[in-house]
Amino acid sequence: MAEIGHGGKEIVERILDPKEAPAKVRGLKQVPVRSQIANEVIGISYGFFCPLTGFMGKEDLDSVVKRMRLKDGTVWSIPILFDMSDQELSDYGIKEGDTICLTYHDNPMAIFEIREIYTYDKEAMCQSVFGTAESKHPGCARTYAYKDKFLGGDITLVTPPKINPPFDPYFIPPLEMRKRFREKGWQRIVAHQTRNVPHTGHEWLMKGAWFQTYAELPIEKPLVGVLVNAIIGEKRKGDYIDEAIILTQDELRKSGYFGDHNHMTSLTFWDMRYAGPKEAVFHAALRTNLGLTHHMYGRDHAGVGTYYGPYDAHHLLATVQDELNITPVYSMNWLYCPHCGEITSEGLCNHKNEWQKFSGTLIRSIVEDGVKPPRLIFRPEVFDLVMECAEKYGFGSPFVTDEYLAKRTPVFTIPPLAG
Amino acid sequence: MAEEKYPINIWVNEERYEKLKEAGLAHMCEEMLAGMKVIRVYANAAQRDKILKVFPTAKFDSATTKSIELLPRNVKDKIFDVVVERKSVDVLDEFLKDY
Ligand SMILES: [Zn+2]
Repeated sequence: MAEIGHGGKEIVERILDPKEAPAKVRGLKQVPVRSQIANEVIGISYGFFCPLTGFMGKEDLDSVVKRMRLKDGTVWSIPILFDMSDQELSDYGIKEGDTICLTYHDNPMAIFEIREIYTYDKEAMCQSVFGTAESKHPGCARTYAYKDKFLGGDITLVTPPKINPPFDPYFIPPLEMRKRFREKGWQRIVAHQTRNVPHTGHEWLMKGAWFQTYAELPIEKPLVGVLVNAIIGEKRKGDYIDEAIILTQDELRKSGYFGDHNHMTSLTFWDMRYAGPKEAVFHAALRTNLGLTHHMYGRDHAGVGTYYGPYDAHHLLATVQDELNITPVYSMNWLYCPHCGEITSEGLCNHKNEWQKFSGTLIRSIVEDGVKPPRLIFRPEVFDLVMECAEKYGFGSPFVTDEYLAKRTPVFTIPPLAG
Repeated sequence: MAEEKYPINIWVNEERYEKLKEAGLAHMCEEMLAGMKVIRVYANAAQRDKILKVFPTAKFDSATTKSIELLPRNVKDKIFDVVVERKSVDVLDEFLKDY
């Protein structure tokens, strides 16, 4: 059965047969890539980025910048680019029409069939994708850091990544994910995009979205699941460490706040662009490919600073809703009301003067002060696991430090080619 | 309009609570978020800006809580000690003098 992904296109994994791989890479020029490119190679090869089959050529890029679409008309909001400097091109002797082998951790990762080499106005790209060309916007900074030439062409994975513990159970690519959803019998699955350790505000975002998604479906057996899809990519100092994020999200299921019948945790490799509304549209494509039917969007989805209004992403999604195969589920904030004595939604409770809002930042401050928050705010199992992760993976801290960045075990490695 | 005030939440762990009790200041704690004890030291806009500059890890949570968060624990300990010594939460001027 064909698996249909974003834009109505079939999801096809672009991965070489292990028996053929050594012969296919023999003699190819080897070019090492950085982690962002390696993450995107995985995104392309496994169909996370369907219908993309490689890094974008100029026509696709120009169309994404000017129309938020690929050149064939499919809605697409974020450029997926491979960059090189003139110096590198000449050092490697790379020209249009060449096929090269991309390496990561010194081992062959993917075959790149270079169809074209081109330039593009980075400022125009920033203005369109991020709504600003300011270099202090982290997405613009990433764009300006691209070298001056872009290479477009198809990617085929040579060697599947080895996902290192404790992340290995959570790498579930689109085709496998869709199989699992069928096994569970879920008719609707709602995506929760996260880069956080969950407090009960997050937990209730998921629970609220589960109710919204369930809607009119019969309740005799569980038909709706929440998929936590954690974004794993470049880390900034002070973020929660990746191990703590993925394991605590799953802990909500293991500790019974959810269960196997309605909750699953997985990861996607992606370096956040903080493109707000445009990133929200990208998330819709990504999660469609993963087999989800619904997607949670809160306020200022994937935003940064004050660049985007709280509902900009919702408005942009509405303009392309007819072409998306995923339904947005909009979430209001959850907070603690001492009068109600519970976590409640700002759309429900009317004790406005008594509301106590809390954020991930506030919880971090509490934890850093050596206080264990009450279970109504932060689940004790999550707290204990954060502390365990600090010892086991974080060199004593649950937050990213220089030491963590230097010494952590990579989330994935590329093993040497067999044979 | 009254001047805007931005709280620094000093969460009262057991060690801090013992010190407060000894100084007869346990009543200074407020209760927040389902039973946590906190002492709130308020900064004005100028003090807030100075704090964010002097302590680069600190963050002003403008979206949700309007409070100054993520000050290092030892910095909060120092502020806390001044609160206990002066028996007042109006201590930021004195605390910031040294920076
Ligand atoms: Zn209430």
